[in-house]
Amino acid sequence: MARAKDAERSPRLGIRVDRRSLLRLAAGFGVGLAVWFAFAAPYERSMAAAGQVLLRAFEEPPVTRLEASGEEIIVDRSDFPEASPRPGLPAGDLHFNFVLLCALFALTPRPLSPGHFGRFWAAAALLWVVHVAALAVQVESVYATRLGPWSEAHYGPLARNLWAGAFHFYLIAGRFAAPFALWWALGRPQAPPETKS
Amino acid sequence: MKTEAASAGRRRSLGFLARFLALLVVFYFVVAWRPVNDAVIVPFTAAIARVSAGILSILGEGTHVVGTEIRSDRFAVNIENGCNGVETALLFVSAVLAFPAPWKRRLIGLLLGLAAIQVINLVRVVSLFWIGAHRPSLFTSSHTVLWQSVVVLCGVLLFLLWATWGTGRRAAVERHGAGKGR
Repeated sequence: MARAKDAERSPRLGIRVDRRSLLRLAAGFGVGLAVWFAFAAPYERSMAAAGQVLLRAFEEPPVTRLEASGEEIIVDRSDFPEASPRPGLPAGDLHFNFVLLCALFALTPRPLSPGHFGRFWAAAALLWVVHVAALAVQVESVYATRLGPWSEAHYGPLARNLWAGAFHFYLIAGRFAAPFALWWALGRPQAPPETKS
Repeated sequence: MKTEAASAGRRRSLGFLARFLALLVVFYFVVAWRPVNDAVIVPFTAAIARVSAGILSILGEGTHVVGTEIRSDRFAVNIENGCNGVETALLFVSAVLAFPAPWKRRLIGLLLGLAAIQVINLVRVVSLFWIGAHRPSLFTSSHTVLWQSVVVLCGVLLFLLWATWGTGRRAAVERHGAGKGR
């Protein structure tokens, strides 16, 4: 009885894990890796530009400047003392999960069909939004916890915990869950309807 | 009829996603809570370091362990949260518990899946130490992109295998039910 109830509530997977799907997954992983390595630099520039706009929208006066440089995104503020070092954030940690998205979307039997390809780019665009939000959260966590007396003067205990906790959540769970959730919502093949009239 | 079935399918799918994300947040708070981190996660990570160092010694790397750190004359690595398999375990446990299935099947899936994730993670730690000691220029990309993605993908595949096993059995239940109805 309970088993039948579970069967009614289960979402259809629409995926069979077999040798072919594993090969597609490996190919998707390889392609994703190649694209990631090839386009990481312009991608980080776009993240930095959008992250800066997002952060400045909540600043009064707007002072944060983000610049992608090598493998880091450098955080600068117009009110930082000239001589103080600028924090650099490792950008790859934020957005390497693009490779996971590519691999998961490749699980589908016809991964290059126009509809599926379109859904992949929609998911990739949403993942970019997640990356920009994660970058903004990381910058806030740096402001809240890493700048010594300045942090304590500008952020209370609750704000410090909130920003540090939010970024830690992204590092431990969010950055892996995001591609899975996007694939589940947009990339999983839709199984045929259960009943026909 | 067809539309109703499709919208019911969408509802079930979104329901799974909502449960998965809610469980992920709950489990994150559990493992990130300092008493749990200090009493469970850190000793568990230290155990991973000891087992990995043992395997590395068998492979001829002269290693010793200090807490969660594996050291040799050539290289040292500290195993932190994100490298101890806990992040993949969180995803896997949340997905299995969010997916409707009998508790017995969930329990079997959790035991086998978590064991498999830890075996894969041991391979990751051992290979990353070896890369760090012998091919240091490849360490950063192997650590950040390659192995993290591989371990998480293995976690997702384990979930799909478990859920497909459930679906196969479900189809049999449905066929059995349809047979009875005739």
